[in-house]
Amino acid sequence: MPDEQRAQQSQSQSGEFERQPVPRGALLGFKSFIGMYAGEHCAGTELMIGPLFVAAGVSALDVVGGLVTGNALAVLSWMFLCAPIATRSRLTLYFQLEKICGRNLVTLYNLANGIMFCFLAGAMITVSATAVGVYCEFPMPGLNDLYPNSVGWVLAVLGVGSIIAIVAAYGYKTVARCANIAAPWMVLVFLAFGIIGLRQFIDASGTGASSPGDLWQIATTRIWKGGAPLEGQVKFTFWHVTFFAWFCNMAMHIGMADLSVFRFAKKSWYAVASAAGMYVGHFMAWLSASILYAYQLHLDPADTNVLPGPMAYRAAGITGLLCVIIAGWTTANPTIYRAGLAFQAILPRRSRFSVTLVTGLLATCAGLFPAIAMKLLGFVALYGLLLMPMGAVIFVDYWIIKRFNLQRYYAASNNKKFNIAAAAAWIVTLVMCLVLVQAGVIQIYFVSLPGWFLAAFIYVAVSKVYQDRIRPDAHFGSTERSK
Amino acid sequence: MMRRLARSVSVTSLVVLILPSLLFLTGSMQLSRVKYYMLIATTVWFVTATIWMGRRDD
Repeated sequence: MPDEQRAQQSQSQSGEFERQPVPRGALLGFKSFIGMYAGEHCAGTELMIGPLFVAAGVSALDVVGGLVTGNALAVLSWMFLCAPIATRSRLTLYFQLEKICGRNLVTLYNLANGIMFCFLAGAMITVSATAVGVYCEFPMPGLNDLYPNSVGWVLAVLGVGSIIAIVAAYGYKTVARCANIAAPWMVLVFLAFGIIGLRQFIDASGTGASSPGDLWQIATTRIWKGGAPLEGQVKFTFWHVTFFAWFCNMAMHIGMADLSVFRFAKKSWYAVASAAGMYVGHFMAWLSASILYAYQLHLDPADTNVLPGPMAYRAAGITGLLCVIIAGWTTANPTIYRAGLAFQAILPRRSRFSVTLVTGLLATCAGLFPAIAMKLLGFVALYGLLLMPMGAVIFVDYWIIKRFNLQRYYAASNNKKFNIAAAAAWIVTLVMCLVLVQAGVIQIYFVSLPGWFLAAFIYVAVSKVYQDRIRPDAHFGSTERSK
Repeated sequence: MMRRLARSVSVTSLVVLILPSLLFLTGSMQLSRVKYYMLIATTVWFVTATIWMGRRDD
């Protein structure tokens, strides 16, 4: 039996289908996607993002309106950009990219992806470590701290991070099962945070609340008051919240990482299930977490520290602390595992155990620096920006490129290991977007929108030159389109 | 039978987890009691859900 055939048979047996289209018999129903998205998007980082909205001086109307709009745009991006390609090609992101870009460029993409996953996992470790500080009472980092500020903090992060790294390396499946069990509980604890915080504000206002109008009054005048942001923070408007909610999972929808998920969907409209994650995790959980922080500011306006541990403990006691630890732990674990897989693709001779362990320790080192968690809004936007151009390349390659008489899956068709057109689309778009952000022309929260069109244009333009130069006699359009 | 019982108890524990916070919102319960019931519900959830959730034959 040839090697390729043997590999495909082995993948079929494991149910992964990493290098072949998912067969009809392995497709999943709609319910599978609802559960997966609702659980995955209620994570430790939600406890940082909600408070950072309050620190950014957002008003009630802007945060509610922005989250409704931005989350809807995110769901539409999954439905109309990612899922239609996933359910037609039924390939993983990496295999699809390899066919377009070639193995060497995908290796570079894996490296970038792995590094960003490490930083993200570091932020989750930071969140979990704040829970340790509630009992150990060491100085914890402030809102504008970039570096670790106490020996206690360093030891807490090293302790939490090492445990997470070892568990990720040893027992990924066990923690994945724990995450599934914790998910419904965690969603309800997040909801309880919001309900308890709301009552605390009602008590603090002394006016009572007998109608929805009274609650909205408290929301606008005491919780999300608007006005100037806290020192060192960017002012957030309706548009900031909308674009942040839309782009915070940009790597997954517009960046096409969830091709690997929706290749198992029977229909592309199953992507509407992402709404469960968006409106539970990125609406309810963010608002609940921001209520906790606003209450902390109400009690002591000088206490601007965004520390999920103490905030959750004040609202829900030990259950709140457990929620912070488990939310950080269960989401850092798969993130470290994914980063390990990305690095292992670059170092295939190393064992998955050693790569995951080293990745976890790298994430722990990142978690020592509170700057990543405290600047999470900007970091998440950067993460989306970094992976977005490859999403544009996949979209153009699948739907548009043949209209220009160019070849789809160029690297696979021509046995190339590095597609210059895709590399140019990625690198030039990134450089131009970052230059625009540095020059103050546009903020990082918005730059990915024009960046997507730029990446699409560069990919087509360079492909036109590149493919014509390599194969000047080829006439792909007529033959390919007739298939 | 055991799994069915565990499932019923764990679903009930989720109700007990959220109900005290709603009672706190309406002013019918003190926060200290809310935290107490939430901790009990949490313990019951993790013990009982482990019996039936995520098993291979589910």
